[in-house]
Amino acid sequence: MKNTSIITPNQHALIRLPSEGMKVVELKPDQIINLGKFGSFKVNEILGYSYGQAFEILDDYMVRPIKSLMEDQVQPMENESTQEEEGQFTRKDIATILSESSENNQFIIDVGSQIQKLSSDDIDKLKNSGVSSDVGQQIIDKIIEGHAGFDKKTLFSQQKYLKRKQAKFFRRFSVDYLGGSQLLEYFLEKDNQRVFDMTTESLGLLFSYANVKPGGKYLLIDETGGVILYALMERMNGEGSIVSIHENEHPNHILLRNSDYTDEMIDRMVKPINWLQFVETNAEKINWKDEPEDVIENMKATRKAQYYRQKKRAQDINHVIDLVSEGNFDAFISVSKLHMPSVLPYILPKVGGSRPIAIYSEYKERLLETQHFLSVDRRILAPSIYESKVRHYQTIPGRMHPVMSSRGLDGYVLTGTRVYPKQEGITAVGRGISKKRRAQDETEKS
Amino acid sequence: MPFNSYKDIIEEGDLVLAYINRNHIKPIRVTKDEILNTRYGCFEHNEMIGMSYGEQMGGSRGYGYIYLLAFTPELWTVSLPHRTQIVYTHDSSYIIQRLNIVSGSRVIEAGTGSGSFSHAFSRTVGLEGKLFSYEFHEPRFIEAKAEFEDHGLDKNTLITHRDVCKDGFELHDIPQPFVKDSGIAADAIFLDLPSPWEAIPHLKAVASSTRRVGICCFSPCMEQVVKTVTALNENGWVDVEMVEVAGRRWEARKEMLKDVNDVIKRLKDIQARRNQGLELLKQSRASTPGEKREASNPESGEANPVKVQNTGMGFNPFGRGLRIKEGDEKFEWRDVTGIEPDIKTHTSYLTFAYLQPPPSARVSL
Repeated sequence: MKNTSIITPNQHALIRLPSEGMKVVELKPDQIINLGKFGSFKVNEILGYSYGQAFEILDDYMVRPIKSLMEDQVQPMENESTQEEEGQFTRKDIATILSESSENNQFIIDVGSQIQKLSSDDIDKLKNSGVSSDVGQQIIDKIIEGHAGFDKKTLFSQQKYLKRKQAKFFRRFSVDYLGGSQLLEYFLEKDNQRVFDMTTESLGLLFSYANVKPGGKYLLIDETGGVILYALMERMNGEGSIVSIHENEHPNHILLRNSDYTDEMIDRMVKPINWLQFVETNAEKINWKDEPEDVIENMKATRKAQYYRQKKRAQDINHVIDLVSEGNFDAFISVSKLHMPSVLPYILPKVGGSRPIAIYSEYKERLLETQHFLSVDRRILAPSIYESKVRHYQTIPGRMHPVMSSRGLDGYVLTGTRVYPKQEGITAVGRGISKKRRAQDETEKS
Repeated sequence: MPFNSYKDIIEEGDLVLAYINRNHIKPIRVTKDEILNTRYGCFEHNEMIGMSYGEQMGGSRGYGYIYLLAFTPELWTVSLPHRTQIVYTHDSSYIIQRLNIVSGSRVIEAGTGSGSFSHAFSRTVGLEGKLFSYEFHEPRFIEAKAEFEDHGLDKNTLITHRDVCKDGFELHDIPQPFVKDSGIAADAIFLDLPSPWEAIPHLKAVASSTRRVGICCFSPCMEQVVKTVTALNENGWVDVEMVEVAGRRWEARKEMLKDVNDVIKRLKDIQARRNQGLELLKQSRASTPGEKREASNPESGEANPVKVQNTGMGFNPFGRGLRIKEGDEKFEWRDVTGIEPDIKTHTSYLTFAYLQPPPSARVSL
């Protein structure tokens, strides 16, 4: 079973950098992980701490745990002394750095790069000076010293400046648990097309409206390569099954390798089926016949292995085809580019009564078309398109405001409930009903 | 247990959501010989027994219908009796996803309020997980406790009558199945309280000490957020970030496609008809000079341009004066989306933060 709380060897993890960059890594013991300008560290150094822990990179690929990635001041952790080594710059605390500031920007004159006395060569020299621990903070101290107009800045703009420099020079990182949300966040940043621009809020909406719970049996189309599948498996925590429909001969769940789930668990939960097998269940079923024991006994080793592989494949396919024939799925979840009005006629009969469907698209127009299709079809009650957008704030008391820019794209989730409408004998209450009711009352009286 | 298993056929004693329309979903307990009376018809419980979940049911007097739906926390959020302001699905779904709440998670929730979020938590954490819910208002507590038992939430949910701001979260008589590490050991915390900053100092005692613990504080006012952020910082929580969620609902609609060339054609048609009418008028005047009124009499005037327009006679490409159903096949339509008429512009601010076990708790692997 994978560990979700402790940084564990041979598991994948998400590294966060001061620049807000991210990196997915596999934590192989004794290896060194290179974070570019933020430094390199040895994997063994971080193992055993809790996920979420932030570190500062020291000399020789060593690290030390720190309070958080962007905390203004490196706070001494417990059981650690704070001695400053002789002959080095002493670290000024933030209060001193920011003690000289201006009320407003009245005295700021834009002279471009001349304002900074420290050249980039000087900074490179500092970087290579061999003082590894804390070198980031020292560079920042020097930059501020060399900044002729720093004391003319307001306190707010000083802090902003400081934060910018910290994001650039801090040699820090933190190690997060790589869950479904984190994997999605990573791809949204690195390769947004791959995950159809889906945000955490859209994923949450999709799973809540699909009423996902442990033990369910879900019908899924995931064209992201496994991000949604991973998040769904995580929600279900090993209980239940997912029939995953794919459009190629073989499924593409390549990103599941980041999940660290065992093959046994993936095998048990995930039942891939391609569209041909899904639609033409009878024709695609494999008529498997066991060879007699003695024939198997006499097979060559390679032939025997092949025989068992074929047998397993036949059993798997027949099993998933049975699951589909049986129908009664607990939800249909889709993150796909397929044209839904062509997909849903195959899907809707397979969804159980009063169970939800939840379809994601980054384009509202595609869901609009789908909703129109469903309104005519009537097998989905009250289909609606939901949109969820999170606005992030700069969260510093006294200076709270929404961040100045954010991603432009939102996603949309169409959801509704599978029902069995009556073909006839239903009179809606509306125009003319009171007349009808009166007439009925009359006949009842007489 | 409506929240932790799926059912196909309605049995006596089941909790069913009678869907009347989008804004009217009525929870009922299926009981022999009872009748659900609504403005939209009467429905006999006896008839429901044996029907499938999801089936449409006609009214017993020949008019009206309902759909018989199974319970989900999301439908419940639409139908529940409001005891307090509730947490809507846009917020609750994001909080669950962002805090990585999954089957097996151990969650603290204070206060319980209307219990809408409790249902979503309980569903998501499953029987492997646990929900510890706290409510300081006694009548609300009693009502919620009864409701949780009625809905089968008590299998994984422990509700306590407590003012957590004053008395903290620690429990001394936790039923054995709910205990972990001899206490609550929560992985995730949700605070929907008027003054969360008073409860925050009490959290260390109940938060898991072996993993990173996430919190979300739900407050409508900025002033509350500022105090909460300060308290989180002072109590060692890190990566503090406040966000808000904007939720919207869109509906697919159809709008008539109006081609300006059709407008011009219609104007021409009207003009031609008017000229024709004037011609007829002239002729009738010429023949019977005294009878002026007859021509303008709407009853007889097939040449009357006003009448032409109102009855849709002549060239009438947009069905003026007619009652037209959206999407009528005789006309051309364009698919559009309309937003719900009233949107929630603000529910609450969501302040997230994390509590990290001390580095000294490092384990050797």
